[in-house]
Amino acid sequence: MAIEWYVVLSSLIFAVGAMGILTRRSPIVILLCLELMLNAGNLALIAFSRMVGNQEGQVFALVVMVVAACEVVIGLGIIVAIFRRKLPLDVDELRELQG
Amino acid sequence: MSCTSWAWLVLLFPLLGSIVIGLGFRALPAKTAGIIGTAAIGLAFACGVATLLCLLGEDPEARHHASSLWDYANAAGLDIKLGIFVDPLSVFMVLVVTGVSTLIHLYSFGYMQSDEGYRRFFSYLNFFVFSMLLLVLAGNFVLLIVGWAFVGFASYALISFWYRRGTATGAGMKAFVINVVGDIGLVLAAFLIFRELGSFDYETVFTKAPQVFSVNEWTITAICLLLLVGAFAKSAQLPLHTWLPDAMEGPTPVSALIHAATMVTAGVYLIARTHVLFDLAPTAADIAAFTGLATLLVAGTIALVMTDLKRAIAYSTMSQIGYMVVGVSIGAYSAGMFHLMTHAFFKALLFMVAGSIIAAMANRQNIDEMSGFGKAMRFTSAMLLIGGLALAAFPLTSGFFSKDEILAFAEARGGFYVIFTWLGYVGALLTAIYTFRLVFRILPGKACKEAQELIDTGHVVHAEPENPATGEVEDTDVGFPGSEHHIAEQSWPMKVAMGVLGFLALVGGLVQVPGVDDVIGKFLEPTFADSPLSHIHPTVGAEWEGLGIGGVISIVGIGIAYFLYVARPETPAMLIQRLRPAYTLFHNKWYFDELIDFLIVRPILGVGRFANRTFERLVVDGLVTGTAGTVRGAGGIVRLVQSGFVRSYALLLIAGFAGLALYFLIQSS
Amino acid sequence: MIAAFHAPDIYYAGLSPVIALTVAICVVLLTAVFQPLRRTAPALTLIALATTAGLLIWQGGEEIDLVSGALRLDDLAIAISLIAVLSAAFAVLLSIREPAVEQAGSGEYHALLLGSVLGMALLAQAQNLVSLFVAIETLSIPLYILCATDLRRERSLEAGLKYLIIGSLGSATLLYGLAFLYGGSGSTDFAGIAAGIGQKGVTGDPLVLIGIALAAVGLAFKTSIAPFHQWTPDVYQGAPTPITGFMAVATKAAAFAVFVRFFDVALISEASEWQPALAVLAAASIVIGNVGALGQSSLKRLLGYSGIAQAGYILGGLVVASEAGVNALVFYLVAYAFMNFAAFAVVVARERETIYGDDIRAVQGLGAERPLLAWPLTISMLGLAGLPATAGFIGKLYLIEALVEGDYTWLAVFIAVGTMISLAYYLRVVAAMWMRPGGETSAAAPAIVGASPEADPIDPEAGRRMYLVAPALLAAAAVVIFGVIPQPLVEFAEHAGASLF
Repeated sequence: MAIEWYVVLSSLIFAVGAMGILTRRSPIVILLCLELMLNAGNLALIAFSRMVGNQEGQVFALVVMVVAACEVVIGLGIIVAIFRRKLPLDVDELRELQG
Repeated sequence: MSCTSWAWLVLLFPLLGSIVIGLGFRALPAKTAGIIGTAAIGLAFACGVATLLCLLGEDPEARHHASSLWDYANAAGLDIKLGIFVDPLSVFMVLVVTGVSTLIHLYSFGYMQSDEGYRRFFSYLNFFVFSMLLLVLAGNFVLLIVGWAFVGFASYALISFWYRRGTATGAGMKAFVINVVGDIGLVLAAFLIFRELGSFDYETVFTKAPQVFSVNEWTITAICLLLLVGAFAKSAQLPLHTWLPDAMEGPTPVSALIHAATMVTAGVYLIARTHVLFDLAPTAADIAAFTGLATLLVAGTIALVMTDLKRAIAYSTMSQIGYMVVGVSIGAYSAGMFHLMTHAFFKALLFMVAGSIIAAMANRQNIDEMSGFGKAMRFTSAMLLIGGLALAAFPLTSGFFSKDEILAFAEARGGFYVIFTWLGYVGALLTAIYTFRLVFRILPGKACKEAQELIDTGHVVHAEPENPATGEVEDTDVGFPGSEHHIAEQSWPMKVAMGVLGFLALVGGLVQVPGVDDVIGKFLEPTFADSPLSHIHPTVGAEWEGLGIGGVISIVGIGIAYFLYVARPETPAMLIQRLRPAYTLFHNKWYFDELIDFLIVRPILGVGRFANRTFERLVVDGLVTGTAGTVRGAGGIVRLVQSGFVRSYALLLIAGFAGLALYFLIQSS
Repeated sequence: MIAAFHAPDIYYAGLSPVIALTVAICVVLLTAVFQPLRRTAPALTLIALATTAGLLIWQGGEEIDLVSGALRLDDLAIAISLIAVLSAAFAVLLSIREPAVEQAGSGEYHALLLGSVLGMALLAQAQNLVSLFVAIETLSIPLYILCATDLRRERSLEAGLKYLIIGSLGSATLLYGLAFLYGGSGSTDFAGIAAGIGQKGVTGDPLVLIGIALAAVGLAFKTSIAPFHQWTPDVYQGAPTPITGFMAVATKAAAFAVFVRFFDVALISEASEWQPALAVLAAASIVIGNVGALGQSSLKRLLGYSGIAQAGYILGGLVVASEAGVNALVFYLVAYAFMNFAAFAVVVARERETIYGDDIRAVQGLGAERPLLAWPLTISMLGLAGLPATAGFIGKLYLIEALVEGDYTWLAVFIAVGTMISLAYYLRVVAAMWMRPGGETSAAAPAIVGASPEADPIDPEAGRRMYLVAPALLAAAAVVIFGVIPQPLVEFAEHAGASLF
């Protein structure tokens, strides 16, 4: 299979993730969508690594996986803190800061 | 000591004075602060004289020195030093500025005595003089910009000195904003000069400019036009003049200093200093001259119908600066500078007189309420008469010689420049009429109740403190004028200051009597020798002819004023009836403020209102439900889009990316 | 067969600042574990930062590639790292007695701060796509947490969550762009990218173009460039003020450093492609930032919008892709750092002293009441507005000069006009301080009826505390000194610029 299809797939996943962020209101689902986007990047990196012929893309993808994991941990931590404060877990409700 | 060392001292003393008073203002007794302030400027004047003597001791050709303290910014291509430039023009300006400022400080010493902010006043005043001297002595365009911005800032501080008055802070803001517009023009001009000529230094720029530019190339014209934006903002010429009348909210010594002798002359100085560039862009110079002419006439007409004493004098200032701008734009450099000097004398004097009279009127400024002061305040009245005669260019006063020298030059230059002479004479007629309108209103006639109080008791009448413009009641605490009002007759510092200026206003013109002596012309010659226009000299006969016409016009104007305001006092009312449209136009200051409101302020508010209604309904509601933010012009749109919804932020981010990507793809295909 | 293991070449001296920071993080985190050591976290952090600064200065003048070319230690990196370290030190001082620190735990808070500084130092040195991404994340993730540390305040949590969501969106976009650039050029190294693109030429290669666009978006987001600026006012307002001060300066500095390295080194051959686009973004930031600040009553929000405008000015220095531009950029970043330090120190002090929080009413009448706080804030406002005799004026001068020389005079006009508009809100703050009577400052009459859990106890002496007043005064003094004698700072900036070109 031509390598370009993997890149197309990754952009589809990226777009789905972006759409998810734009349309979903729960922070947890938004975190999931962010993960989708990061993994789309991973897929693209691996595909390009194959296309270009060196291993740098794959190394990059491994590193991104680590970073994505860290980010999720933080995100969940903040969500738990919000939950503990009995605030609504809804990004549309949390808009005291505006203007 | 070399000439430049004296010049550095000129800068040092006012700065020290400002810092000392500023730091110690809680500890210093009021009078000491006043003495320190006045002494600082006095010392600066003395050093200015020393610089002058030093210069005179040299060959006329060698009279230009540059000196710098340290490298301001020395980087790739940028070489700016903290340097000053000492030559006849800068020394001339230094002497006028420090001389008149010393007298104004002396006047303030007496006038502002009961004000709670006395010490702060002197600190600000010293800082202002320092900034003005920096502007005048600067040796490169960057230091000029620094001095320029400082002067603007100091004027903001001084105009809104009585900061608890809403009208004062508003006026200060307006002045500052218009000044900043001028600053932008100046900054852009400076950078264009740097780009074309590679340096900010005066000497380098003025030597290279004729080599690099040919006459009327669009670059040099653009540079000169930008310089004009800066000059007109500072000198209150059309259309950047609306701040000057409002600036009368400041205390009277501030009006005398800033709006008679110093800040408003900065624009004239700028054009004179950069005359090399203007010689290369005659179109810009002509635009400047015509703007000066227009200002001269428009301001003259407005002054005819102003009833606020200080504002009337303010419009007169605008008009006289118009003369100076005309002078330096058509090539009459030394004549323009001469008029600058004499104007400083008699205008500062007139403002001081106004201060005295307003004090007698318990801080009220409407001339319709004033009369009969001729008997009540003899000294002030005499000074008013002297100042008025000089302003109206009565024969043999200083104003007589200076104004007509400009007009004679215009005629000698020939071609269409004679328009300046004719219309200049029309302006002179207007000047005489409006000046003596003031004199004949205030001096003769039955004493008004304030004047009567003075004659009877020798004391100034007491009244509730209130804002003269709006009638709001005030108190006399910090931020408002003080409780006691000082008139010249009762305060010797005020008397001395006014007396000296009165003397100078009378005899100051004798240094430039045509055919007899040419002190200023000869002194300034080295600076302007490189201009092709400096070779134009009206003949002595033509000059005396001009002087003759000017004298006649002055006397006729005074006569008309006499007729209108003394002999047949009902005439003005009848004229107003007959010429109502003209009267309304002048009275509303040619509707300039309204024009600006219509052209600039309304559209901005309109955009905001449009955004609030249409944009919100169509765009924001259509994409993400949201609520509106507040509206204040364009800021409303921004804050509108900042809705607080994180998803809409995300949307804008993605939309921005899409736009950027599309731009790149389309552009490269 | 056993393959021979070749240990990599580690240049410890060059890596010493990074190592110092890493060690410091571990040590400071340990204080959170051992109860008796809890109070020592700020002091330890300051020592660590001082050590790092010392090591950075020791390395001044070097130009070497570290870690097989992933990082580059040169004067630009050192300059930006110093700014980050200074900002962190300043943030530590301001965090003393800050309620957020008590909520989060002193050791954790300071360790996170150090972590963010580590990320900034790495980012300034990054010259490889992988190190760029790792550094940006190391920089941002602690900040997401730090913004949310004031756990009792809804605003703080909201700010943290918003920053997390939008920030991660930006990072994901950046990553995708980096992936495309890798694919288009065949290398993850900046020099390799430049070579790869230069060979093929970018015109018509949609991969690279989209990659540039995506990367630009990610970096523009970090530096608060419009239209990717929307998180800035909200997050600045909601986060604890010392963190806001830290973010406002250091994040921008580090992000601009990598922005410069990326665009002026890796993508320099395609300058004519991206210059106009970035110039438009800069102009948009200047307009939006200045205009948005006009009606603000919250000082932190005002400083946020002002930061957006300042980012626009700084981006101008990048757009011209010349040495003069980079010099101007670094100079302005340092000046901007000092001016912001002074402003934020005063805001923190007044937040603790008055019931108004960071509203502009908190600084009303400050001139009469607390001149030692009023003067730094005045100088800061005037410096940000670009009044002569402040470092801000010289910085703007420098930027305008670089723009005019680089044939982007229209952007210079934007800077001038933006400055004019900005005067309106900066002078408003100055006028409030000196020309209005003071507001109700003490808690004698509690304005919040039924004291909500979000109200902090008032500390009426906060405006006298040395750890708040001293940084403010020093920063303001620096602004004035560098405004009158700018030469030392100009040379500092020149070193940074020269190391890049």
